[in-house]
Amino acid sequence: MDSDRRGQWLRGVLDICVLALLSEGESYGYQLAQALDAAGVGPIQGGTLYPVLLRLQKTGLVTAQWREGSAGPARKYYRLTDDGYAALRAGGSAWLTFVRPVNDIVTKGATR
Amino acid sequence: MNADDWLRTLTAELHQRRVAADAARHVVAEAATHLREGGGDPWVVFGPPQQYAGAVVESIGTAPGPRPGPVRLHAAGITKKYGRRTVLHDATLTVRAGQIAAVVGANGCGKSTFLRICAGLMSPDAGEVTVSGRLGYCPQSGGTADFLFADEHFVLVGAGQGVARGPARRAGRAAARQLGWEAGGDVQARHLSGGTRQKLNLTMSTLSAPDVLLLDEPYQGFDQGTYVNFWDQLSRLRDAGTAVVVVTHLLNQLDRVDIVLDLTPARETGWHAPGIQGGRQ
Repeated sequence: MDSDRRGQWLRGVLDICVLALLSEGESYGYQLAQALDAAGVGPIQGGTLYPVLLRLQKTGLVTAQWREGSAGPARKYYRLTDDGYAALRAGGSAWLTFVRPVNDIVTKGATR
Repeated sequence: MNADDWLRTLTAELHQRRVAADAARHVVAEAATHLREGGGDPWVVFGPPQQYAGAVVESIGTAPGPRPGPVRLHAAGITKKYGRRTVLHDATLTVRAGQIAAVVGANGCGKSTFLRICAGLMSPDAGEVTVSGRLGYCPQSGGTADFLFADEHFVLVGAGQGVARGPARRAGRAAARQLGWEAGGDVQARHLSGGTRQKLNLTMSTLSAPDVLLLDEPYQGFDQGTYVNFWDQLSRLRDAGTAVVVVTHLLNQLDRVDIVLDLTPARETGWHAPGIQGGRQ
């Protein structure tokens, strides 16, 4: 796939993906990147991911706390706030509303 | 460029873009953690430090950039002669609360003389200095008492302001910690390394919470880490409304200053804003 295009799509939806992952429980940057990769979204570089996390923190959708892990170094753990859950519901349904017709159109065209 | 260099460059870039000091520290620490866990070349994982710093600024913005306050130091038309040699000719500098001014120029061009005149330790042959508020001065060397512990220096400074021993000691140690120095030991000043003695000097000059802080190349003998702490500390003081004047000869520090006074005689003397700072005049 054209990686430029993939990057553009990702930029539009990465914050919603991150909110969705954090709705399953608190996490830190590296773990989020691995989870996104494992889910098949593809590798997410730190340079892309952390600015999104910073923005979510600044807008109050997540809170962050530095903490020592059980093993390993101190990490910055992110946790969804109530506003974050609300933003996830709104953003998530907006995304689905957008992507469903796109899928229909593309599927029709591509299988013709 | 290895990961440490990359992180150092990122730190400098964030400061240059006026990201709040605490926020910048978190961003750098988080990037360092990520690199430790995932490995990889920071240039690939995060991109060029300049670009990543730009992305960070887009996400969290910059420090609220306290508007420069009232004029704290005004030195006008300062001229000084040693015998027939003119060291300073008509030098003028105005610094407001919340600004850092750098005094630059080649060796022997009168930087220290200018600062001593601003501090009132020396009289100019012409010109006038007006200081509004309390003045702090950190000389290039000296200024510490050989046979006293760091704590005793803090108590001494405190005594001058009617602060009790305990609080003075605590304030001194806290200020020293900002420079990455644990000052509590029982080592006489004469047995401290040159760099540590300068930390003591610098700490003392900030203890009286001066409105105008004059620093004469106080970082000689500092290692790289302390040096970064030093500029962090200056940024904090500036953001708290101190008017800071620092003599320096290293160009890369000018990124973080608001005003430059170039005393090099060959060029026109006067002050002007460094091009990349933007918006803090």
